[in-house]
Amino acid sequence: MMSERRSADQGAVNMQDSSIAAAANLASQTGAGSRQPGARRGPLAGVRVADFCWMGVGACATRLLADFGAEVIRIEDRNRLDMPRRLPIYKGEARTYGEEDANPDPNKGGLFNNYNRNKLGVTINMRDPRGRALADRLISASSVVTENFAPGVMERWGLVYERLNQLSPGVIFARMSGFGHSGPHAEYRSYGPVVQAVSGISHISGLPGQEPSGWGLSYMDNEAAFFNASALLTAIYHRNITGVGTEIDVSAVEAGINLLGPIMLDVAVNGRSTRGPDYPTGNRLEHPQAAPHGVYPCLGEDRWIAIAVFDDAEWQGLLAVAGDREWTRDPRFASQAARFANQDALDAHIADWTRSQDRHALMHALQAKGVAAGAVQTTEDTIDHDPQIAGRGLFFEMDHPVIGEALFEGTPVQFSRTVQENWRSAPLLGEDNAHVFKTLLGVPDDEYETLAAEGVI
Amino acid sequence: MDMQRPAGLPHPLTGLTVVELAEDPAGEYVGRLLAEMGARVIKVEPPGGSPSRAVGPFAKGQSGPDASLNFWFYNSNKASVTLDLAGRDGLAPLKALLGRADIFISTLQPRALAALGLDLESLTEAFPRLIVLSVTAFGLTGPWADYKSSDLIALAAGGPLNSCGYDDHSIPPIRPGGNQGYHSAASFAHIAVMLALLERQKSGLGQLLDVSMHEACAVNVELANPYWFYPKVQVKRQTCRHAQPSPTQPALFRCADDRFVYFVLIVAEPKAWQALVQWMDGKGMAAQLTEPEFSDVAYRQANFDQIQELVECFFLVHGSDEMYKEGQAAGLPIGVLNAPEDLFADEHLVARGFFVDVEHEGVGAVPYPGAAYRFTNFAEVPRTAAPKLGADTAAVLAEVASEAGAPHKTTETV
Repeated sequence: MMSERRSADQGAVNMQDSSIAAAANLASQTGAGSRQPGARRGPLAGVRVADFCWMGVGACATRLLADFGAEVIRIEDRNRLDMPRRLPIYKGEARTYGEEDANPDPNKGGLFNNYNRNKLGVTINMRDPRGRALADRLISASSVVTENFAPGVMERWGLVYERLNQLSPGVIFARMSGFGHSGPHAEYRSYGPVVQAVSGISHISGLPGQEPSGWGLSYMDNEAAFFNASALLTAIYHRNITGVGTEIDVSAVEAGINLLGPIMLDVAVNGRSTRGPDYPTGNRLEHPQAAPHGVYPCLGEDRWIAIAVFDDAEWQGLLAVAGDREWTRDPRFASQAARFANQDALDAHIADWTRSQDRHALMHALQAKGVAAGAVQTTEDTIDHDPQIAGRGLFFEMDHPVIGEALFEGTPVQFSRTVQENWRSAPLLGEDNAHVFKTLLGVPDDEYETLAAEGVI
Repeated sequence: MDMQRPAGLPHPLTGLTVVELAEDPAGEYVGRLLAEMGARVIKVEPPGGSPSRAVGPFAKGQSGPDASLNFWFYNSNKASVTLDLAGRDGLAPLKALLGRADIFISTLQPRALAALGLDLESLTEAFPRLIVLSVTAFGLTGPWADYKSSDLIALAAGGPLNSCGYDDHSIPPIRPGGNQGYHSAASFAHIAVMLALLERQKSGLGQLLDVSMHEACAVNVELANPYWFYPKVQVKRQTCRHAQPSPTQPALFRCADDRFVYFVLIVAEPKAWQALVQWMDGKGMAAQLTEPEFSDVAYRQANFDQIQELVECFFLVHGSDEMYKEGQAAGLPIGVLNAPEDLFADEHLVARGFFVDVEHEGVGAVPYPGAAYRFTNFAEVPRTAAPKLGADTAAVLAEVASEAGAPHKTTETV
């Protein structure tokens, strides 16, 4: 959603061309998994998307369309590389995302690969009138258009809904932004953490009386993407019945406010103040009055377990695991209400007890006695070691001509009928130019060569 | 573009019937999202009410099944039917409802399903057009399928919690507020059910969708996954900013009104730097930052602490709202940390007509967050209050009885 863009130099472009040659080699050597686009399967087969999205939100939303059969054609600009192509999330190099190269290889970025699997990729220079004409042709051949630029960019290109609907009657035009496309703050600049701040979901997270701990990730980039994907699917469903398209406006801030949950109504109905000394509640839960309800230290550095006890039966389960200790007989912990009232003392005893234990062993011991418990898992745990996740095949592997074999995060749903067709890792920069412009749009060879030579594509 | 909420437009899911047997926010939220788009959602509850009715907070000090704000939040625009599934009649009335439904939402884990004698796979055989949406803690299969969960447990085991908390790692990871584990599951459940509806438009057939909250959390960690897929590094939590492989500067700034703004000080980008200095200078607080040596990136980087301190002072003597609006006007991506109570008066949200009033008997009009998406050619249905327990039992069961034997028709066509 941020509008900064930087220039890529010629070196990066050359690198990209040689990568495409490498891709062709790889496909011919292995004989398997041709990177050549073909007919798609899935509920969205037959839907072509002219995808102007970039960054995280847009790419994450259209990934869901691409996974389930839509022919999503990412439109990129060689001179303004998508940030995930630039961020230094590379195999074998541990860097914070601020430490990017001045002239990165646009095909090496892991984050781009992660967000853009199953999509096609073309390059168009929208500052050239021939580029805009080409975009018009692509839109005319598509039935969905998506974007998440800063407000005003699509307007500058004349790509407003009315015009898109002329180019492709019945088009669905999905716009994703931080604040939505109307209202006095429509032009405000945002990315995940700003959306989280303004919508309130940062403020409601933290220890009472301290600065908010908020979020350690752009949760709202993902969630805004999911709301966008649902909105797009709803619009496609509606169009299948009525033949009528629509423009879609999703404000990430408004999505975030929806995710505040019941506290929003506590404030609206009861006038609850969330700026008092008793809010937010850290890891404790007011409703229902669970106790213990917290995150407790375990064996190892920065290793933790979450435990949630909601009633007497679960408390008895916890005691069965803890064994006979002085605090287990303490009358201050004899009922759910008493435990809730005496959480400071209770939490200290629980932490003393968990500190010397393995977080996974304790989790399984507590679960065996009917107590909700979960190790605080890292991505190493969930991706490499979690038997529940491994058994359901959540993460999967695909090859990439520059990056090599890479893992991808799948969809957390087992469908009995619908197929998620993972046909290719993310496109190299401009990888599908020839396929899309020549084969799909019918651009003649000589014109195509001119457009390529003169930097239009 | 006029993106005010239009009235009088059609609703995309009109004609669809959803039967919801949901006991937690994940299943209830997806039912609500479908109801908002026009589906008729029949919430099936035990005679004593769904467990979600017993969860607070409660309205105005009241108690009982009809006063739970937790229930209100997730169950607007639904009908309530009480059925004693564990009783003598067993599953017969539920199956009668499912015979005329398009979507069945269940949040029961395998052991609870077995106890009721409810087999989800056989439902898709008995009702070939039915979409059965199961949303559970860990999914219907696997070694943890019957493990207990909660919002905290889901965020912990799924991974998001590991990225959230404070710089001080003697403090445990802190759960982000608002049921985000459940909401993550609801997001994917909503997507899955829309995909299944699209699939059914092609094939005429329903299917079983098995959504795992644990997995929904495991793919909702943003950069932490690619950081493990590619460089194989772990991110470490930091106070209210991205967990990173190595520490970064604080991004929360306290303002004069004791509220916070989120702002990442980036000294390497000339445009953002100039905008910041100009803004501070305009308020007489740029101090030495206007000196020529600060126009050099390397010098700025070498003196980052000095700059951070001046920026801290700048925010500390101004109000948060002023800093938010002026900073944005200067082109800087800065966000004020709103509290929920601040949102009702936010000029942008007011102009967009975001909050929608819902009338509650004895309480009056209550402002609810409006839908998160707006469409020019169709719309969500007007919001109505969550149903009282069993409010629709007689009417719905009479309807089923009168239509017994007549196959259910939907308006769906391709």
